[in-house]
Amino acid sequence: MRNVWEADTTLEFEAVQPVELTLDHCIKCNICVTACPVTAVTDLFPGPKYEAPQAGRFRQSKQPTPDYSVDYCSGCRACNLACPTGVKIAEINARARGVIVEEGKQSGRNKLRNNLVARPELLGKFGQPVAPLANFLLHGGIGRFFADKLLGIAPKAPLPVFSREKFSSWLKKRSAPANATRKIVYFRGCSTEYFEPRVGKAAVQVLEANGFEVLVPEQNCCGLPLLSNGEFDAAREFHSSNIKKLIDYVKQGYVIVGTSTSCTLTLKEEAPELLDYFTEDAQLLAANTYDLNEFLTMLLDAGELKTDSLRPIPLRLAYHAPCQFKAHRIGRPSVEIMDLIPELEIIESQATCCGVAGTYGYKAEKYQVAMDVGRPLFEFIHEVNGPVNVCDSETCRWQITAATGQASVHPIELLSAAYGYPPEGELAKVLLPLS
Amino acid sequence: MSTKNDVLVVGAGLAGLTAVWQLATQQKKARLVSKGWGATHWHSGCIDVLGYYPIDESQPVESPGVTLAKLIADQPEHPYALVGVAGVEEALTMFQTLCAEAGYPLHGSLDKNWLLPSAVGTFRPTCLAPETMIAGDLRRDDPMLIVGIKQLVDFYPNIVAENLVKQGVEAAHLMLDMPKLAQRNFNTPVSIGSMMEQPSFRSDLVRFIKPKLGKAKRVGLPAVLGRYPSLTIKNDLEKQLGVPVFEIPGLPPSLPGLRLHAILLQAIERAGGRVYHGLEGVGIESEEGMVTAVFTEAAGRPKPHRFARYVVATGGILGGGIVTRQDGSAHELVFDLPVALPESRQDWFEQDFMDAKGHPVYRAGLTVNAQFQPVNGGSQPVYGNVYAAGTTLGHSEVIRERSFEGVALATGFAVGNLLAQ
Repeated sequence: MRNVWEADTTLEFEAVQPVELTLDHCIKCNICVTACPVTAVTDLFPGPKYEAPQAGRFRQSKQPTPDYSVDYCSGCRACNLACPTGVKIAEINARARGVIVEEGKQSGRNKLRNNLVARPELLGKFGQPVAPLANFLLHGGIGRFFADKLLGIAPKAPLPVFSREKFSSWLKKRSAPANATRKIVYFRGCSTEYFEPRVGKAAVQVLEANGFEVLVPEQNCCGLPLLSNGEFDAAREFHSSNIKKLIDYVKQGYVIVGTSTSCTLTLKEEAPELLDYFTEDAQLLAANTYDLNEFLTMLLDAGELKTDSLRPIPLRLAYHAPCQFKAHRIGRPSVEIMDLIPELEIIESQATCCGVAGTYGYKAEKYQVAMDVGRPLFEFIHEVNGPVNVCDSETCRWQITAATGQASVHPIELLSAAYGYPPEGELAKVLLPLS
Repeated sequence: MSTKNDVLVVGAGLAGLTAVWQLATQQKKARLVSKGWGATHWHSGCIDVLGYYPIDESQPVESPGVTLAKLIADQPEHPYALVGVAGVEEALTMFQTLCAEAGYPLHGSLDKNWLLPSAVGTFRPTCLAPETMIAGDLRRDDPMLIVGIKQLVDFYPNIVAENLVKQGVEAAHLMLDMPKLAQRNFNTPVSIGSMMEQPSFRSDLVRFIKPKLGKAKRVGLPAVLGRYPSLTIKNDLEKQLGVPVFEIPGLPPSLPGLRLHAILLQAIERAGGRVYHGLEGVGIESEEGMVTAVFTEAAGRPKPHRFARYVVATGGILGGGIVTRQDGSAHELVFDLPVALPESRQDWFEQDFMDAKGHPVYRAGLTVNAQFQPVNGGSQPVYGNVYAAGTTLGHSEVIRERSFEGVALATGFAVGNLLAQ
């Protein structure tokens, strides 16, 4: 039998239905309307049922469409999870937005803004080398004033902070441990590379502690921000490029793990499905990509995860599973992993969404919607009132921190600390006084 | 708390949720997976136990407890026969306790059915009804005013009132045009339910209704008195109007159903059980007559769930747990369990479309032994560790009997307790 860390290269490839065809499954039960966090706070968005299965029937080529409101779908997928009949609502909406963008039906300002926020890698490449200056521009009053006036980026949008050191620079300076018995590929994502290298460091440490040599091949942005801003052609290039860079590793038998839940979801499903990109290589990559905690639970079940001598973390922390993680449809693997850490008490959020939905909440016209969507989560975070909170997705962490003033960490940072590695950033401030 | 995975329940209707609620509160490591939400968002928020028996009887059942005993004697394969009257009663009582503790009491008992108005003004027999509905009791003779809201489509107070009058109930009707709703681009029961949570919106409502009360001694409204299990909105309206207020459930999404859903979810999570929705069961792995894993659809590849025992609570043909094919075969979708249904498609239906005795296809579903294990003829289970609950079970006609929630709750409760031992 194949070990869990070995790639499955014997897949049978299936033809997949275009997402629009799923609208015929709609029975008009309105359950999605009860699940949608956006329609709950604004009547600018009439709800999942109206946008996808209903308006979808009118989206024929050269036909006028009732699509002025579909751009208010945040793509959180809460509707997909609630639908009892399997309509791919969020994907239908994303493709409708793609058509709007393709037909040039957005204002010049919004187009420029959306082009920009959809390219975190580009921002990272230019901004990170001059991190102090870039941070000053991105977070200083003057920079934000102009970003708002010229680009329509909300003045309080939870934009990230450039890191002084890139993840790849840190990685280069160290040598792989000599005792590794197995190899694994890490998809770091733009956020780890340019903004939060500490998450990538924790991931490498945890994997190494479990006997893995961690390979971080050349890679580019997964393309999700492009997909959610309707730039499908560019997203196709990005995905195609990642497949070329990663597929040989899969074919050699290595699986790919990631700490960014939206990047891994894009490789698994979003890119192939939204772009109708179902080549054998694309499907092989999808079938062998894992969220890191998902992968760790599989190691755990196989009795291959290091669980002895975990250091206790005597904290009571709020945990929010991001929408893009729930959309993997694998339950709550991060909770299963955090449950292994002695004395750590995790309180799970029942809130639907933090509101930011990637780049949605950055946009001036959507900022207030995003904040209203996130309100139940922010109240929950205040209620638990831990020193930090826990969330798997970077943009959600930034949103939660901006809205609550409380730092947010990735679950893997806790496991790494429990393994005895020195924590970084806000977690260090919390844990060091305890040890 | 046991360390192994004890029970996986597939399906998040009333049966599945009730089973997991019982398992979790009895310290079992239980997980529920479901394709999406379902029955709880569609149903009336009442617990129908037995409304008509036999099903071609035109008069509603007076006492579900008494008639239930007769049904069990007549139909030994009916799901109620597996549970017994005492079992049904225990499930109802426990559920009532749970709801009362959540501040949203359900009233009633097996002794007597309520008769409440439906959204088309017919008499609706039901066993347990939330406190937000019971002032609609049609056995009382105080006149009622049925109030609709123009911005809420699919609720027509004139139809409700006119049909009630035809049946001897004193009822008037009133349609309100609410300015605060008219400003919005669209309205749904959910958005109106959330507006109801604002005191200013309720004051508007009262201001419009009060002068039109006439001789009405109670007011019926569509079921939009808040999204959450709470009596605050109803009590406030009653205080301001000076007469009892009641909800009339209508088309989905059903806020009264959502409230029961919220109560169950909270109870499960508080007890450490897990509910994952968006995970559609697509198949199993088995070894020597035992299921070793259930697979759910997921991004990238199916996800295995390995548990000691499994409960199928995915509903029947209506709920989506069972599908029928052109060739006349019927399949239970996750475990591929055998479905009791006449073999020939022709025998699924009676000659008369409106046959008062119903059609055999309505009774399609799983046959189980006394331990709720699906069997393939005889009493030998298909798998040694698979159990079934709710309307996936055959041999009943839950819609016509008006026993949908009763069957789901009672069998879910029984299976949960059986597997908790």
